[in-house]
Amino acid sequence: MVAGIDALAGRLRDAIGAERVITDRQELRTYECDGLARFKVVPALVVLAGSAADVAATVQACADARVPFVARGSGTGLSGGALPHADGVLIVTSQMRRIVEIAPSDERAVVEPGVINLHVTRAAAPHGYFYAPDPSSQQICSIGGNVAENSGGAHCLKYGFTTNHVVGAHVVTPDGELVQLGGRAPDAPGYDLLGAFVGSEGTLGITTEVTLRLVRLPETVRTLLAAFETIDQAGAATSAIIGAGVVPAAVEMMDALAIEAAEAAVSCGYPAGAGAVLIVDLDGPDAEVEAQFAQVLTLCAEAFEIRIAAGDAERALFWKGRKSAFAAVGRISPDYIVQDGVIPRTALPEVLHRIGEVSRAHGVRVANVFHAGDGNLHPLVLFDDGVAGEAERAETASGAILDLCIEYGGSITGEHGVGMDKTKHMPRMFTDDDLETMQLVRCAFDPHSLANPGKVFPTPRLCGEVPGRHRGADQHPSQEAGLAEIF
Amino acid sequence: MEDVLGPIAGEPAFDADHPPRSDLIADCVHCGFCLTTCPTYVLWGEEMDSPRGRIYQMKQGLDGEPLTASMVRHFDACLGCMACVTACPSGVQYDRLIEDTRAQVERRHIRGLTDRARRAVIFALFPYPGRLRLLRGPLRAYQATGLQRLVARTGLLNRLAPTLATLDSLAPRLTSVPRPPRRVPARGPRRAVVGMLTGCVQAAFFPDVNAATIRVLAAEGCDVLIPPEQGCCGALSVHNGRAEQARGFARKLIDVFERTGMDYFVVNAAGCGSSLKEYDVLLADDPAYAEKARTFTAKVRDLSELLAELGPVAERHPLPVTVAYHDACHLAHAQGVRSQPRALLNGIPGLRLREIADPEICCGSAGVWNVLNPGPAAELGDRKARDVLATGATLLVTANPGCLMQVAASVARLGGRIDLAHTARVLDASIRGLSVDELH
Amino acid sequence: MAPIPQHRPTSTKEAAELFKAATADGLTVAIRGGGTKQDWGATLEEPDLILDTSGLTGVVEHAAGDLITVVRAGTPMAELQRHLAPQRQQLALDEPLPGATVGGTVAANTSGPRRMLYGTARDLVIGMTVVRADGTVTHSGGKVVKNVAGYDLGKLFTGSYGTLGLITRCAFRLHPVPEATAFVRARVRDVAGILAAIRGLQVVPSAVEIDSATSEVAVLLEGTAAGVRARAATVATVLGDDQAKPDWWGTYPWRPGDTGIKVTAALSRVPALLTGRVGLRGSAGTGVLYAGLPADTPPGEVARTLDELRTAARDAGGHAIVLTAPEPVRERVDLWGPVDGLSLMWRVKHQFDPDGRFAAGRFVGGI
Repeated sequence: MVAGIDALAGRLRDAIGAERVITDRQELRTYECDGLARFKVVPALVVLAGSAADVAATVQACADARVPFVARGSGTGLSGGALPHADGVLIVTSQMRRIVEIAPSDERAVVEPGVINLHVTRAAAPHGYFYAPDPSSQQICSIGGNVAENSGGAHCLKYGFTTNHVVGAHVVTPDGELVQLGGRAPDAPGYDLLGAFVGSEGTLGITTEVTLRLVRLPETVRTLLAAFETIDQAGAATSAIIGAGVVPAAVEMMDALAIEAAEAAVSCGYPAGAGAVLIVDLDGPDAEVEAQFAQVLTLCAEAFEIRIAAGDAERALFWKGRKSAFAAVGRISPDYIVQDGVIPRTALPEVLHRIGEVSRAHGVRVANVFHAGDGNLHPLVLFDDGVAGEAERAETASGAILDLCIEYGGSITGEHGVGMDKTKHMPRMFTDDDLETMQLVRCAFDPHSLANPGKVFPTPRLCGEVPGRHRGADQHPSQEAGLAEIF
Repeated sequence: MEDVLGPIAGEPAFDADHPPRSDLIADCVHCGFCLTTCPTYVLWGEEMDSPRGRIYQMKQGLDGEPLTASMVRHFDACLGCMACVTACPSGVQYDRLIEDTRAQVERRHIRGLTDRARRAVIFALFPYPGRLRLLRGPLRAYQATGLQRLVARTGLLNRLAPTLATLDSLAPRLTSVPRPPRRVPARGPRRAVVGMLTGCVQAAFFPDVNAATIRVLAAEGCDVLIPPEQGCCGALSVHNGRAEQARGFARKLIDVFERTGMDYFVVNAAGCGSSLKEYDVLLADDPAYAEKARTFTAKVRDLSELLAELGPVAERHPLPVTVAYHDACHLAHAQGVRSQPRALLNGIPGLRLREIADPEICCGSAGVWNVLNPGPAAELGDRKARDVLATGATLLVTANPGCLMQVAASVARLGGRIDLAHTARVLDASIRGLSVDELH
Repeated sequence: MAPIPQHRPTSTKEAAELFKAATADGLTVAIRGGGTKQDWGATLEEPDLILDTSGLTGVVEHAAGDLITVVRAGTPMAELQRHLAPQRQQLALDEPLPGATVGGTVAANTSGPRRMLYGTARDLVIGMTVVRADGTVTHSGGKVVKNVAGYDLGKLFTGSYGTLGLITRCAFRLHPVPEATAFVRARVRDVAGILAAIRGLQVVPSAVEIDSATSEVAVLLEGTAAGVRARAATVATVLGDDQAKPDWWGTYPWRPGDTGIKVTAALSRVPALLTGRVGLRGSAGTGVLYAGLPADTPPGEVARTLDELRTAARDAGGHAIVLTAPEPVRERVDLWGPVDGLSLMWRVKHQFDPDGRFAAGRFVGGI
């Protein structure tokens, strides 16, 4: 229990209103985890921010009291990025959900961080535009969270990620100052701090307003579902499509186990007996899509069944199975781990075989759902917590899959972020020098390590020039007073 | 301030008598897909008033946390609309969880005096069609003399008694309709024998809906049985945690209709239908009624469900009108009945059907939730009214008296205009060749 | 006067050794690639040594199946494209100044017409190796397009004018070389109307360029042969049939020694900018335009023009930056103009290059 939290709570009540400061034990506990429900930490305080001023005042108060803070949007993240700090303040932006402006003539949208991803597209669609990054949780995840994680989605194969669609942001830096990064026009002068901020997982500050790039709605979208007997065939078809110079809007793959789960959950009706299904979206001008579609059909010749979506309703049904896959596995297994790793796309068939080996070696089933187009895997490691040892084996298997990603020159996370879940894996992808360099940026923004400490980096870097002494929220007050040392 | 890491003080929230089930709670994977469809999350943006958060608090209760006023407030705030059940990819049976939780709250939590008094009045009144009918006279006088308009202008009622004010704003304009006979024979070849629920609010304040329902069923080849001794179905009670009261009503209703030899039991109120389809769960622990309840439950159909199942035979005359169809939560989310009413409306020549934006978000009626929570209910009602008016339709059709009253009041509050009708009345008008004007 | 010592390392390791030594001796360093943008940014004080990247050349890896390449930063852009071409792939970055190296392009974040469809270096870099001032070699990103592990330092280094360190290697995402391309161009009076009409067509142009000197709008379409034909016909309904590539396409509107200004604006404000005193050329599709003032323009006039452009750009949500200028002009004007978040940028600079070894004074706000 950090001394002074009471005082901080009082100061915050005065600054932003008592109804925005939560101290009730049971209510605090509802915020103790995000989408990664395995890990829970009860925050000392929760602040429900209603405006940029609230965020700035809260961060300022935290900075003055040297209390750490963690930001949270919808709380749907899968890497524990919004896992609270036990001695800190959880700053929740879910009430900052105003769409400030949709400006189709500038191809921009300006939104508060709590705005739901899908709502941006809904607001832009009547004007002929959409917001391209579409994580599977887009009906519930927030733009602020997307910015923190540099979220992707199935259609980022063609359209890019959040960082390619954020052109400006107002950011409250960890010292409580409000700074503008980027803007409505491109190429703001100076360092691309915005580019460093997107994907920094809440460790560099909190955004209070984001300017997004909108993309013109495609003239045509064609979706096909191809069922293959084996994953290898599906993988080969994917390679052939990409190799032919076609850039589909999305190429997604699900294996037999994932299909089974999706069927149980949403009755998507995928072809029975498929070892793997491919869902391919092609979009763009009519004439281009026609030409590409014909190509893709030929390249999927090995499929035993191909379905072409006849309209929006059918397209939605094809995608429904894929988009609900994660939560759907809950119907075929009591517990599961959602993994997120990247490999070079060409290594897909081989890695999937290796994952099969991992699954057998550890005695846990693995359902595979992934963005076949860019090699971003989402193995779902299934287990039953009630069976002794199974949870541990699942964790080990999950880690072994990440090993594979690194072995094949990929990444430990394609979309979900490092959070607290993968800090221990960072040294396998980056050298000490690499991590130290990243932390130079962190020190520039957050010299006192108050912004989401403990996330992304396994060991905090000293930001001052004082060797051997830890600074910031990790230091016990007695240490700071020079009265004690940790041995 | 409490030490959140310290020991839990007080008695655990739930006892062993039907607590929220831990296996159902374990189905929740904390994905959050329910949040944006939950009306209270839409209003307040707080985890504690979201399905995910409420499930979390139930789990805390099972783990030993006490039933605090805060917890109760969050459970009470749930509308019971079950939009979360529709949205949940993991199949969490939140409806079951909240019902058990509410029953525990009613039994184990001492409410404040005003709250208790309010609830006592509501539950002494609404489930009793006879008592509701007694209000008709005074209410009609109140409306006819212009007193209601006067009161509305002064805003006096709002300040003195928000609950009464809500009831007042919701009260429909009354019509006079004779009570139905005990049996109405099918027109033409008989295809089914159906028992019909006359309901409480529906019977007292919308008897024309019941009359229309009977006519439509008869026209479609059903013998309709309407025993006048039937009572409340118990939906309001079970949705608000008064399980024993609900069971009493259920037993009585089963008894009344057991003798009729009906093939189906038809309901024209969404809230009632959803509860009737769960009589088997409500009476599962009663050895005398468990089997009867199962038999009964298997026969329950919403009006639109049954008509779709039987297939239309009565000729439809044109009704040139643009209609917005509103999905009552207890019909769409609780019973999964969405396509049948639309198919029936689309089957009327000349009728143009428009979809309302955000159809899965509740209008704010939710049984008596709008009477117990007038402020937020008005906000939700206003949202729905705006979305309804935005369709440009001239007629709003829905299958629940509560929704009809709520949207009517909200539209009026916004200064808008739209006619309202129950699905049954629209079908009845088409079958009888009435004009659109006769629908309001 | 003694010439400034030049060093030409042939590996990252060698460059790292060099920097370690330079730091120990307290020396300042300037980086030189293709030499195409030595005049960009503020004038530097003479460095103590020049690091020539022409020894850090060569494609390290081209994984055609994965559409990525890893290339050493001293490699000329043209050489890289030649290397990728046989597999029908490209780094989708235009080269407005021929002879530029990969590193220089990234360090200055230069771009051309096709940024509208493909983005700029910022969007195409997926990994980077950088040598810091103290000789530390550091990597960020990786070799896969989809990667959110750690900070995206590649973005920080892109466009940083070499003030944070030496880029020695870049990994890029590639695009297929399109089967067919077509230009459609026309002289235009109602710029706003035409631009809106083109946007409404949904033809997904690779570029929409405008040149106020010739009053021309030109659209570039890329894709399949049949698709490009059909789309060009669609665009022709707005612009007519002229399919010749404009002479001015993809070039800056200034000559060596002139003043070159980059102006950015929100899309809807581009037409308004074009009605100003000085001619503009560039991407109407993204709101990034360029203006040139001849070398003999009196510095006072340049200053006035810059002020006007800066105000107009600011009102349009963008900026006006002087990329290059003759000496007399440099003395009169603030090249970079107002910069948001400058103090934060200084803090970043201090972390990476506390002693100011790299290009001190060349960048924004005196960085």
